[in-house]
Amino acid sequence: MNTQSLIPTPDTIPAPWWIFFGLGLVMFLLHILIINTLVGSSLIIAAKRLFGRNADLESTLTENLAVKTMTLFSFGINSGVAALLFLQVIYGHFMYASSVLMAVYWILVIPLLIIAYYGGYIYIRKHQHSPRLAGASIIVTALILLYIAFAFVNNLSLMAAPHYWRAYFDNRGGTILNTSDPTLLPRYLHFAVASISVAGLFLAWIHDRNAKRTSENKASAAPIGVRTGLRIFAVSTLIQAAVGVWYLLALPKPIMMSFMGKSVVSTAILSVGILLFLGAVFMAFKGKLKATLLHFLPLMLVMVIHRANLRSLQLEEYFSLTSLEEKAQYDVLALFLLVLLLGIAAIIYMIRLVQKNKGRKVTP
Amino acid sequence: MNYPIWELPTIGGGSLVALIAVLHVYISHLAVGGGAFIWLTDIKAVKDNDNQLLLYVKKHTWFFLLLTMVFGGVSGVGIWFIIALVNPAATSTLIHSFVFGWAIEWVFFVGEIAALLLYHYNFDKLDDSSRHKLAFFYFLFAWLSLFIINGILAFMLSPGKWVSTHNFWHGFFNPTYFSQLFFRTAAMGMIAGLFGYVTAIFTKEQALRMSLIRYCSKWLLLSIPAMVVFGVWYFYSLPDAARAAITDNAQMQRPIQVLIVSTGVIFFFGAVLILRLPRTLQATVTGLLIGIGLSWMGGFEYSREVARKPYVLADVMYSTSVMKSDEQKINEKGVLKSAKWTEVRCTANEIAAGREMFNIQCLACHTVNGVRNDVVEKLKDYPYMGILSLLEGQGKFATYMPKVLGTPKEKASLALYITEKLLKKKAVRAPEPYSPKQPLNADIPPFNRDTDAYVLLAWNDLGMHCISDSDQWFVILPPANTLEAQLIKRGLSPEVITEDVVLTYDVEKGFANPSAHSEFWKYAKETFGAVFKKNVGVAGKGVSGTFDPDDNGISFLAKAIPVVPYTDNGSFNPYPLFTVTAKRKSTGEVLAVTRVVAPTSTEMGCRNCHGGPWAVNNAAGVHSDTAEQILRTHDRLSGTTLHTDAVNGHPKLCQSCHGDPALGAEGNKQQLKLSTAIHGWHANFMYLKNSSACAMCHPAGSEGSTRCLRGLHATVGLGCIDCHGTLDEHALSLLKGEPKKPQAKKLAEQLTPTQVATAADVNPRQPWLNEPDCETCHADYQAPEKGASGFNTWVKGPADLYRNRTGDEGSVRCTACHGSPHALYPASNHMGKNRDNLIPLQLSDTPFPIGSQMDCAVCHTDAMEDSVHHPNMERAVRNKKIRQQE
Repeated sequence: MNTQSLIPTPDTIPAPWWIFFGLGLVMFLLHILIINTLVGSSLIIAAKRLFGRNADLESTLTENLAVKTMTLFSFGINSGVAALLFLQVIYGHFMYASSVLMAVYWILVIPLLIIAYYGGYIYIRKHQHSPRLAGASIIVTALILLYIAFAFVNNLSLMAAPHYWRAYFDNRGGTILNTSDPTLLPRYLHFAVASISVAGLFLAWIHDRNAKRTSENKASAAPIGVRTGLRIFAVSTLIQAAVGVWYLLALPKPIMMSFMGKSVVSTAILSVGILLFLGAVFMAFKGKLKATLLHFLPLMLVMVIHRANLRSLQLEEYFSLTSLEEKAQYDVLALFLLVLLLGIAAIIYMIRLVQKNKGRKVTP
Repeated sequence: MNYPIWELPTIGGGSLVALIAVLHVYISHLAVGGGAFIWLTDIKAVKDNDNQLLLYVKKHTWFFLLLTMVFGGVSGVGIWFIIALVNPAATSTLIHSFVFGWAIEWVFFVGEIAALLLYHYNFDKLDDSSRHKLAFFYFLFAWLSLFIINGILAFMLSPGKWVSTHNFWHGFFNPTYFSQLFFRTAAMGMIAGLFGYVTAIFTKEQALRMSLIRYCSKWLLLSIPAMVVFGVWYFYSLPDAARAAITDNAQMQRPIQVLIVSTGVIFFFGAVLILRLPRTLQATVTGLLIGIGLSWMGGFEYSREVARKPYVLADVMYSTSVMKSDEQKINEKGVLKSAKWTEVRCTANEIAAGREMFNIQCLACHTVNGVRNDVVEKLKDYPYMGILSLLEGQGKFATYMPKVLGTPKEKASLALYITEKLLKKKAVRAPEPYSPKQPLNADIPPFNRDTDAYVLLAWNDLGMHCISDSDQWFVILPPANTLEAQLIKRGLSPEVITEDVVLTYDVEKGFANPSAHSEFWKYAKETFGAVFKKNVGVAGKGVSGTFDPDDNGISFLAKAIPVVPYTDNGSFNPYPLFTVTAKRKSTGEVLAVTRVVAPTSTEMGCRNCHGGPWAVNNAAGVHSDTAEQILRTHDRLSGTTLHTDAVNGHPKLCQSCHGDPALGAEGNKQQLKLSTAIHGWHANFMYLKNSSACAMCHPAGSEGSTRCLRGLHATVGLGCIDCHGTLDEHALSLLKGEPKKPQAKKLAEQLTPTQVATAADVNPRQPWLNEPDCETCHADYQAPEKGASGFNTWVKGPADLYRNRTGDEGSVRCTACHGSPHALYPASNHMGKNRDNLIPLQLSDTPFPIGSQMDCAVCHTDAMEDSVHHPNMERAVRNKKIRQQE
């Protein structure tokens, strides 16, 4: 039996594949920014709880981070849903298969995510009055988020590696991990370290905003927050580069070579990424937040494109997006785009409504 | 068959789906209804200038946010995850068909979260109007989410025109879209009120708490009547099949009851809470209501799921992930060759193949020793052959299950896997062969052509009489064997004698006391409504007695002799011999003596499929285990109470409901006749297609303990189906004989004839009255043409039956010279080769029919040149196989 015979037959798609591909990229970019922030923040807060020395300062830093982060929790899940939706339209037949192979680990994500979510809220609500409970909660949250990240990395790497799928015939209980894949660990670390980088940058950003917007009391902590954040970003991004090299070398040789000159497009994408990375780290070490952000955001975009490109290369021997059968229904697509615009408009309206009227009345 | 299958045999994927889905749907309904609750309550608080109420709204919003946004939001993703694991194919279809629907719903979801977070985090900072706007936006987005999801959920049950067009809008605005939308919207009002109690109950100040509780009760009491009205609309908008599932499917009754009862209970407690009650009682009732609300949700969602069966996407995809359109292709190609995720492509290793078949076709809904639809519990009473039969019949009547797909070998592998690996039983794959005991001796009575003036011919009317021998549980047929006889006075012009003679019969030693071996007499009052003297049968005859003159004026009849196939020494012998004696009535002079077999067997093969051992000597008899299983099955399928009745000492005669010309029983006119019902039902389950199918139930198996098909037709290689048709054909002929009964139509729907082109070509008949006509094959008494079949040409009525007909001369019964049906001379009996041929051997010294081989001298004392009996008689036996029997 060859691996090709295991590849499920894909369903017909209701619009050209590149629409879903594009929407998936955008949603994933949004998702990874939020989720990196979320995971990284929880790690930083947990680490500060465990190893921090200056309790007051840590508290000020992390309180800001935690409150903002919890607001992001919902949007992190929400943008992930959209990214996963569009991914399933074009790669669903791979992903459903890989999900079943690791079904137990995959479905555990759900109850654990609920616990982590509540853990975050417990931290916010209790960190002043019950620091022990809050500390335990945020540590549990951080650990769970690390687990969830691992489950996702495992699934997404397994879906792109059908040659490992035959393990199913020895284990049908849904407890297969893609551990024989040498890219699994560097890929996971690539995400985990990136989370710390992004959260560092986020920490710097919110303190920068605080410095400009809030009271003197809070503003006094701002320069420390910005500095700390940028330092976290710079150091972890340097580590990230090393992990990236490991990841690249762990790839099958033909794919690795595609990024090292064999394919002009693939090499160019990675090269742009490396340049942006160098720029971002340099600016961070210099303490320039805005310049760092200006390098960082395009860097994330390039990395997301690079990641999608890597998946195409990994699945090249089994599947091509252009082979998907299409039966387009554009009126529904148009309706979605219209609803999306209206939705964005409604959210902008609501935010403005709040900004305009905040403080007009104090309820009992 | 496109995806790997998650082996979760104990918990079952379905249970996980149900668990996550019911919890999520409960909370998501709260998310919408609660949105309206918060918005309207906030407005009311401002309007009434009620700061306490406003504080309540604030507190409730926090509880609401934690419950709906965190638990509701993540569990929603959980449903998506779990259905993709348990049924990836269906999930893929839903995603691909409605991706932009999901995407639109996602936009609303984002709006919902944004509005809720803005509302909650700025509750104390915003003016009333802005806050109300945010609350309204939240409700609007939440309800629009429902507006979208509702289309996709309704699609799963009633896809409407989408099935042929695959157009998004046809699937979305499907036949149950609006009714379900209104129903769910009303239900959300109810759930919002329910959860309103939870925060209200924590209000310490009594007057405020009472006012809040009454406010929440209003939500319940207004929503529930609307929900009932929309529920009725929803029910009537369902597709016919779904509505039928709700009303007819036994599996559906429990969730429907839960739904109806919990609706009533919620309404009742909603009204009770208006009363001024102590706080602890209010809290208790609230806790109860939240639990009952969850069971309401479970009842509703489970009903929807069952109503959809056997599909996961109605009319599109079965629960097994097989597309309806692929069914025929898969049956032709085979499941194992069609599935992607299997290494087993053939049935060479049957257990391995069976496991794959089980995973692919059973695991989606069944567990193994698990919590839901446990296959072991359901099948524990069945042996291999029963399981294979169930697989054959699956989905034909129990329409909540899809048909089992696959080649016959694949189905056999599945049955083997279930039997040996899941039920841990040894699979017996065909009726077990019976090792015959030493053949029995049968003395041939003397006959002297020179001195004997009379010829006595005797026979059994059917060639085999079956007894169910399960009187404690049910009776299909009682001990009732009918012998017939004719007395002929030899001479130049032989004469049938009926005047001044008396014919008696006497069973051989060992059979004289049938009541010692059968419980017929014990239960006859229940089954036949009469008490019979021991060893006396239903027509008043004993095992020894006198023949009565038959109405036809040419023969004698001893009706319903209660002989059983068990001897006093404990052996099984389905061929007891009777000595028949003709005496002159006036003088008592013995005119003639002969011996004849009264074939009678309890070898009814119910156990082959219904399980249980043989009751007697490992050879025959319906064991209590078998009988009870049959009754329980009948009760389950037909809503009867036969098993309980029997346990309480009131077994029934099957013919008391199912009429039967064999017993002259009228039965219930609404019900099918016994033969029609039994053949019609079992034909749908029988996986064998030739004469061996008949032998699964009748004592006709060539290796069984009876082997009743023993006449010359069997010797030349003919089987049951050559005269009666295949089981499908046989059943169809009977079902078509009762065309006005709806059950007949239903049972006939999935039967396929093989000897004629279509079911329409099968001629209707009545059981026992319209049987195959000998002359169909033996036209003008000649040899049959090659490939001739007796099937589908039935005699017009009882008078034309072989067993009732006479020769052309009008006075000698066909059976008198040729023997009983199924045991035509020369017969070959495994319990003694010539046990059925005693009379021709007595009279002609050959086993051939009386007068054959031009041996007219049996009766005629003068040489005959022509036959008046029937044409083509004045010749030697033509068939080589038959000739060899001499």
